[in-house]
Amino acid sequence: MDEAIGRYPPEHKRSAALPLLHFWQEHFGFISDEGVKWIAAKLDLQPINILELVTFYPMFRQESAGKTHVRVCRTLSCAMAGSYRLMENLREAIGFEPTIDNHGTHNPISVSPDGNCSIEFVECLASCGTAPVCMIGEKLHENVDPNSVVDLVSNPQSVIRNPQSPHPLEHRLVFKNIGRADWKIDIDTYIDNGGYEQLKKAVTMSRVDIVNELKTSGLRGRGGAGFPCGVKWSFIKPDEKKPIYLICNADESEPGTFKDRYIIHEDPHQLLEGILISCLALDARTAYIYIRGEFPEGAKILERAIEEARKHNFLGKNALGSGFDVEVYIHRGAGAYICGEETGLIESLEGKRAYPRIKPPYFPAVLGLYLCPTIVNNVETLCHVKHIIAMGGAKYAQLGRPNNTGTRIVCVSGDVQRPGYFEIEVGAVTMGQLIYEMAGGLKPGRMLKAVIPGGSSAKVLRADERFKIKDRQSDGSIIEREMSIDEIPMDFDSLTAAGSMAGSGGVIVLDDSRDMVWTLNNINEFYAHESCGQCTPCREGALWMKKITERMLHGGGVVEDPRTLKTIGDNIAGRTICAFGEACAWPTQSFVEKFPDEFASRAAKPVPPPLPPEYISEELTERETIPTTALAHDPGWEKAGSAGTI
Amino acid sequence: MFNVQVDGVWRQFPKGTRVIEACEQAGSYVPRYCYHKKLSSPGNCRMCLIEMGLPKLGPDRKPELGADGKPVINWMPRPQISCAQDVAEGMGVRTNSPLVKECQRGVMEFLLINHPLDCPICDQAGECRLQEFSVEYGTSESRFLENKVKKPKNVELGPRVTLDDERCILCSRCIRFCQEIAKDDVLGFVDRGSNTVLTAHPGKRLENNYSLNTVDICPVGALTSSDFRFKMRVWFLKETKSICTSCATGCNTVIATREDMIYRQTPRENDAVNSCWMCDYGRLNFDYLQSERRLLEPRIFLGNKFAAVDWPTAIAHAALQLKPFSGWEIAVVASGRMTNEELWLMAQLARALDVQLIDIVARTGPGDDILLSTDRNPNTNGARLLGITSEPGAKLPVIAEAVKSGRVKALMALGENPIDTGISVEQLSNLRAFIVMDILANTATEHATVVLPSLGFAEKRGSTINGKGRLQRLNRAVRGPGNARDDWEILRDLLQALTGSNGIYSIEDVFRQMSEAVPQFAGLTLSKIGDLGVQVMQARESPSPPVDPAVSDIEKAEAKKTSGRSR
Repeated sequence: MDEAIGRYPPEHKRSAALPLLHFWQEHFGFISDEGVKWIAAKLDLQPINILELVTFYPMFRQESAGKTHVRVCRTLSCAMAGSYRLMENLREAIGFEPTIDNHGTHNPISVSPDGNCSIEFVECLASCGTAPVCMIGEKLHENVDPNSVVDLVSNPQSVIRNPQSPHPLEHRLVFKNIGRADWKIDIDTYIDNGGYEQLKKAVTMSRVDIVNELKTSGLRGRGGAGFPCGVKWSFIKPDEKKPIYLICNADESEPGTFKDRYIIHEDPHQLLEGILISCLALDARTAYIYIRGEFPEGAKILERAIEEARKHNFLGKNALGSGFDVEVYIHRGAGAYICGEETGLIESLEGKRAYPRIKPPYFPAVLGLYLCPTIVNNVETLCHVKHIIAMGGAKYAQLGRPNNTGTRIVCVSGDVQRPGYFEIEVGAVTMGQLIYEMAGGLKPGRMLKAVIPGGSSAKVLRADERFKIKDRQSDGSIIEREMSIDEIPMDFDSLTAAGSMAGSGGVIVLDDSRDMVWTLNNINEFYAHESCGQCTPCREGALWMKKITERMLHGGGVVEDPRTLKTIGDNIAGRTICAFGEACAWPTQSFVEKFPDEFASRAAKPVPPPLPPEYISEELTERETIPTTALAHDPGWEKAGSAGTI
Repeated sequence: MFNVQVDGVWRQFPKGTRVIEACEQAGSYVPRYCYHKKLSSPGNCRMCLIEMGLPKLGPDRKPELGADGKPVINWMPRPQISCAQDVAEGMGVRTNSPLVKECQRGVMEFLLINHPLDCPICDQAGECRLQEFSVEYGTSESRFLENKVKKPKNVELGPRVTLDDERCILCSRCIRFCQEIAKDDVLGFVDRGSNTVLTAHPGKRLENNYSLNTVDICPVGALTSSDFRFKMRVWFLKETKSICTSCATGCNTVIATREDMIYRQTPRENDAVNSCWMCDYGRLNFDYLQSERRLLEPRIFLGNKFAAVDWPTAIAHAALQLKPFSGWEIAVVASGRMTNEELWLMAQLARALDVQLIDIVARTGPGDDILLSTDRNPNTNGARLLGITSEPGAKLPVIAEAVKSGRVKALMALGENPIDTGISVEQLSNLRAFIVMDILANTATEHATVVLPSLGFAEKRGSTINGKGRLQRLNRAVRGPGNARDDWEILRDLLQALTGSNGIYSIEDVFRQMSEAVPQFAGLTLSKIGDLGVQVMQARESPSPPVDPAVSDIEKAEAKKTSGRSR
């Protein structure tokens, strides 16, 4: 435990709160009140500070789970692949009472009567390509057959899936070692394949040169926002007096995205090398890898990789004889999507609830971790740094398209024959090629209905839409073309022009069997569950939208609902502290706008009268009797759970 | 100074002005829930969203100027919160554009969907920001057809604060207050999203001495004072500006009353004294004014029993009793709770009777580094300045000794119990005259020869000097009970009875007389003190009392004697 506390500056030992909570839960099974008090005392905090965390992060339990704890992914791709049925069958097989959905913060944990087993619905486990998935203990089970759950529980061996070998349309840089038959994740294999050469090269380069290579490369962040990485790095003042921190954002949790998982699990040294080069470039002496709590194996793999790298003096004191001391630490999250937002992540790393910070003034590059300059980069982005040093920024920039350089990993999930990850030159592949050639096309007899192109928060694209996309030529001229969804190049600018975004590269394909109200409700449930609750619009709006779509789904839709949904989205997007506002509003805005008929057909009931029945004052003075309407005049309305409206 | 355009008009604001404050100064109030100028800005309520822009820069990196010679503003496409940024040169803000109004309506709707509509029984009703802003920025009807989120109600957060979580809008003001001002990190949010709940750890209570400030800053009815809860609708309350008299800090207050009943005391902002806060101890310390022990009628001891008399009789009797004595035969136990005006008149009286044995009772208790002073007398500095004491309480043993020895024949006790200073009941009974002026009956009152019922801090006017040397003003919030009378009037009448007319008809006259004699008060009047007070002494400075050197020498000699004896 003291080792865990020692990973953070002594004056910021609060940061060790999450690690200590993980220790406690691993040891005792859940976080008791004693645990809360003990950890608070250990870190010189008040018990409330720890209680705030236990109740914020869904992975922490305040009551005991079963000996075998099963986490079933509930989010879109898994739900589409049958995770609800999986959950039902699991409950039945193990003999649980169906739990009442209490709509509380965390999905309820149901424990079997003998205490051996417990099940919990969780949000995205970042393995959408192998949906449905569940975690049994710390092991991920992929492609689970919802109908053969007995095997799953009685014989909980992890199903190792064959790594995916590259498709001819791919251009693998970051993923070049993934799927290789002869590949092992130890450092020797990595070094034998030319690993850490770029770190050695970077040691000989000046900081400015490395940053300039990055700028020349045009690398844009792969986490979701697509911000130019070199520009971000140059926000750090060259003469900075405060310590500079690098944080690797490995909190991969955008539904539809599952790329970082494979880098961490199968090529950890590549990430480490990218981090160390970046530390050199930024003069950051400490780097933290914030890895999501649902990647326990990944965290162990990275810990091991760090120890191996330390033995080779790639990190630690006087790394590679350069005189540069650098440390890399793993920090595990605990199941909160909002930790993917960089300032939320920083707060979480500081041992607080992951409440994103207001910007201004808290721009991470100025006032980041411990109010010191901090750069937060995604796993994939940091891996690209290594390749940019290897190839040179200019050569790297020739990959992909202008302003959309390099390669990126696109994850395809949902209604396709061969879901998976594909590393493509940015923009060199179209949506059509991705879906029909690389991902094997739609299931037999199915038609494409819609695509969510950049993680579940990206606006949905309709299969029959026509998009006007400006095509920037290499000479700088711009040609506008109208195209179908199949023709959209998979790059940042084209997807933005199509009215959506490339986001985190998670493409979710929906075929014509999908009910858009159901789909949106699933997405809304995710965002209602994951909203941190700090600022008003997202806290209240996300749950409201979910309640509406759920009611519509259960037959209680009223005519005003689509309009209400749309305006709720409008009132959230752009009004919140962080980008979660857009993330939760965009799906609703786009689904309602693009599938009006489907929403209208679910929203046919008249709006119930307000309570109490209202009259206008003229009526009162002019008429003998005031017309009032019976309260629940529509039985369907009552059934939908409208008791106690207004 | 920065030039800032607020709603189309260019104005100047000093560097460091928060945008939200600048707007307010410019007359464009921006609604807010989470922002409090004395606390950090979390920017979480989103009510203060406005449109903001910075000067458009030309190719030369200099602001482009418009036809009016002012910078052209590059408006940001998204609304910005105005509570977290300071003004900048050439900044533009719009506080009432269609976008801003739309934002305000949106936030209001979100805040109300899960808020219980229990305004009729909510203590905050009438001073609730949610109500106020609903009128100004909200919509008139609800589109919310779902069930509201259920949360704990009627939670006792501590001995003095009750919480209704359903009313809470999660602005975090109370949490920040506890962390940043009270230094008692006891509140926090648990759970997440719309289910977030304000609470304390089950093993901890919100019981610090500043807990009730959270009720003041709660913009809605989530945190309510357990003392005030369900007592009175706030719109019936009459508000009187005053100061707290429970310690030497002298926090500025508002006393809320209805029909001569005090219902609550709340802090009033004064950055030279108490910022926006006051301690619970001072705030709740008004119940004694409504005590059954209040002295209501002047009484004199005649023969062997008390008789209630009218004021002229009581004053005349007191004067008659004092007249035979002078100098060392008379002792006065005065109080650091008396106002300057009262102390001044007492000093006059003492001078008229040549009284040397006069002091106040020192009153101390544990203090803190926030507001509560170790000196629990509100006007020790006044007593020093007006020569009633040089070292509070130092002369009390001398007085006790002199009473014991029988040298003192007449004792006046003003708002203090002489038994507490070491004088026994028997010694009191042996006095020829024992004149008591007080608010409440105590163990000594029944041995008095004359009882003069006076008024409490909320029932009278007057001034005090706080521990830091600030002259502040009490105001009358309620009328005194029964026949109790304003202290300064009693003392004035006594003085008149002993020395003849002195031309003092009002409390203003007393202050004028003081201001002529006391250099620190020169040029001041009661009204000039104003609501926020005037600095008249240096903090912690012990002023030289305005008494003539001869008296001073006697004092010194007496003090020497005392110390010799006690050894």
